[in-house]
Amino acid sequence: MSQLTVNPPPTRTWRDIPQNVTPKAMTREGKKRLAFAVGNIVGLVLVIGAAGWGIYELVSVWETNPTRITAAASNVPIRDIALRTDGVLDKAWVTRTLDLPKNASLMELNLSVLQERLLATGQVQSAVVTRKFPDILAVTIQERSPVARVMVRSGAVAPQAYMVSRDGSVYQGVGYDQALAETLPFLDGVKLVREGEGFARIDGLEQVSDLLGTARTNTPDIYRTFRVVSLARFSVDGTIAVKSTEVDEITFGVVSDGFFKQLARLDYILNETRRQTPPQPLKAINLAVGGSQVPVAFDTPVVSADGRTPRTSAKPVAPTPFGTALFSPPPRNSSSSKRDF
Amino acid sequence: MISRTKFIGAVEIGTSKVSVLIGELSQDRSLHIIGVGECQSRGVIKGAVADFRAASDATHTALMAAEQSAGTRIDEVYLAQTGGHLEGFYNEAAVNVSSADNMVSALDIDTVCRLAKSKNLPDGRMVVHHLRRPYRLDGRIVPDPLHLVGQRLEAGYWTVHGPEGKIADNIHVIRGFNVRVAELILSSLASGTVLASPEDRQNGALVIDIGAGTTDFVLYRDGSAQMTGVVPVGGGHLTNDLSLGLRLTEGQAEKLKLRFGRATITTKDRAEKVWLNGDFAIGDRQFSRYGIEQVTSARVWEIFEVVKKKLGPAFSPEKTAAGVILTGGTAKLPGIDEAAAKVFGVQARLGEAPGWVAENLRDPGFSSVLGLLQYGLTSRAEAAAAPRRKAAGWVSKLFATA
Repeated sequence: MSQLTVNPPPTRTWRDIPQNVTPKAMTREGKKRLAFAVGNIVGLVLVIGAAGWGIYELVSVWETNPTRITAAASNVPIRDIALRTDGVLDKAWVTRTLDLPKNASLMELNLSVLQERLLATGQVQSAVVTRKFPDILAVTIQERSPVARVMVRSGAVAPQAYMVSRDGSVYQGVGYDQALAETLPFLDGVKLVREGEGFARIDGLEQVSDLLGTARTNTPDIYRTFRVVSLARFSVDGTIAVKSTEVDEITFGVVSDGFFKQLARLDYILNETRRQTPPQPLKAINLAVGGSQVPVAFDTPVVSADGRTPRTSAKPVAPTPFGTALFSPPPRNSSSSKRDF
Repeated sequence: MISRTKFIGAVEIGTSKVSVLIGELSQDRSLHIIGVGECQSRGVIKGAVADFRAASDATHTALMAAEQSAGTRIDEVYLAQTGGHLEGFYNEAAVNVSSADNMVSALDIDTVCRLAKSKNLPDGRMVVHHLRRPYRLDGRIVPDPLHLVGQRLEAGYWTVHGPEGKIADNIHVIRGFNVRVAELILSSLASGTVLASPEDRQNGALVIDIGAGTTDFVLYRDGSAQMTGVVPVGGGHLTNDLSLGLRLTEGQAEKLKLRFGRATITTKDRAEKVWLNGDFAIGDRQFSRYGIEQVTSARVWEIFEVVKKKLGPAFSPEKTAAGVILTGGTAKLPGIDEAAAKVFGVQARLGEAPGWVAENLRDPGFSSVLGLLQYGLTSRAEAAAAPRRKAAGWVSKLFATA
């Protein structure tokens, strides 16, 4: 079968008749309908055109000067700032920091600029600024909480205590209770590096935070004696040195047993030394060694004047003439108090 | 969401009147008739537009009346087409099923259909309808041969065509109202769609729509239209015969026809007289009732005879079990069913509109416009169901021409 036979030329049907008609051939009613239809199309085109032009104008104004749009949107001045925070910053501080123009309306504000102003303070970890129409500016802040203090000297000005948070941020604490702030130990053995208006983050603060947090929770009496926490050897051997009112240097290890165990041993050693008669002033306790023995250094030799060893349930092993001893805490459940190290 | 409701105008530009119905087509599925308009026709002779301006005025008046009654504007028009200028022929084609397993594919169907429709028309004529008769697969009639097994597939089309100018005139009358013609439908097909039930069409039925200027007919068999035709004789000729025979004006003759005309002679008393007006005023005259019946019945019989002759061997009483269905304005003539039964040798009845049609639209004069809406709705539904096969055809064409 040839191709022409299979695909014959199509016959002409009435649908091939062009249906366009000139207005001359129309009756009056037809012309009216045509005018109406044309009017409809023109109207539609105008509406679409106007909408398009409006959008174009809006976009171009937004790109060049957004305040023109915002001013048109609302001229009601801001009545209040609604603050939500998980810390100590108050509305007065937020108002001072935002420094809003007088009688400014919500739509005139550039929220990202306001957010940047809040974040410029190291104490603010994150900030969200939103408009609550018609006249409330809502500010939600998440604050950093301090774990230690650090003394900062800037030029000739007297040194000032700054706060250090768990993430290593150094900032000037605002609004903290003075008594509470003074319980925080000072940080030592770190080098502060200027970065913009503030300081670069300090490494190792997470471990310090864990140590202090564990101490505050489980051994609050010991925590209260902590005065200085040093990170001088942290980068070398992973140890944190703490100076307390009772011991000149307590060394905690990051890689050895957990802080809870180390603190428990410290508690035991302190209790044991307190029970000694006469009490032996402690010079250094090294909890970073790990294992079952803790090197403890005394200010005076361990052996008493009458040549007897102090009475203690722990067994100082091989006492030395230089006032050092190895404390071996009793085996598990061996003591009457059954304390578990 | 964009509304999918369309307002469709069904328009029949007849010789004596222009009828318009407005249908509200929702979601291409349900149809509600919401407006009707009628106007006395002008400028139309035997279904063809003779005076464009007069025909336009009459049609647009009817369209406006319909729009006013519907309270809405028409979106598009389904236009009835009639007139002695329409002709038809039958052409068929056969193909051997191409696949090795003899299963009929969409490509086979597409090929046989295109071949059956491919007959060239004389210059200046164009197709109005391609009416497909049932497919035959190895001689047996099948409604849809796709995926059936056979060797030889046959398809036949009854093609209705007409002169481009006359068809365009009708379309331009509508375009003058600034509405698009969406479908052009043969009057007889429209009437047949609404009056002949699927069972009638399956059993065989002849639908005759006797208008004022033309008589349209369609013969159904095996569920589909076998043949259509238009006889340029209608009820107007009865009036004209009375006018000439009784020396009356056309108005007087029309009045007599409506009051006393019959398709069969029942008056025994040849001396029985009837008054022209019945008001005994000056000019009122008496006429022989027998004479009136004789004139009208002779013309009606002649119309049926012409239809029967045009049908030729295609019509046989044995294959027209559902009989003759009569409609159109002239079908209101008393005794016309009896006359049709005698001429065609089968039972005959007046067509009745389906139950969903409102009482004021059950007049036989509205069957065409009602059918236009129904036919248009059906063809839309079929067109919507067609893409499956069309897609296959496109792929087939791609490979056929590669």
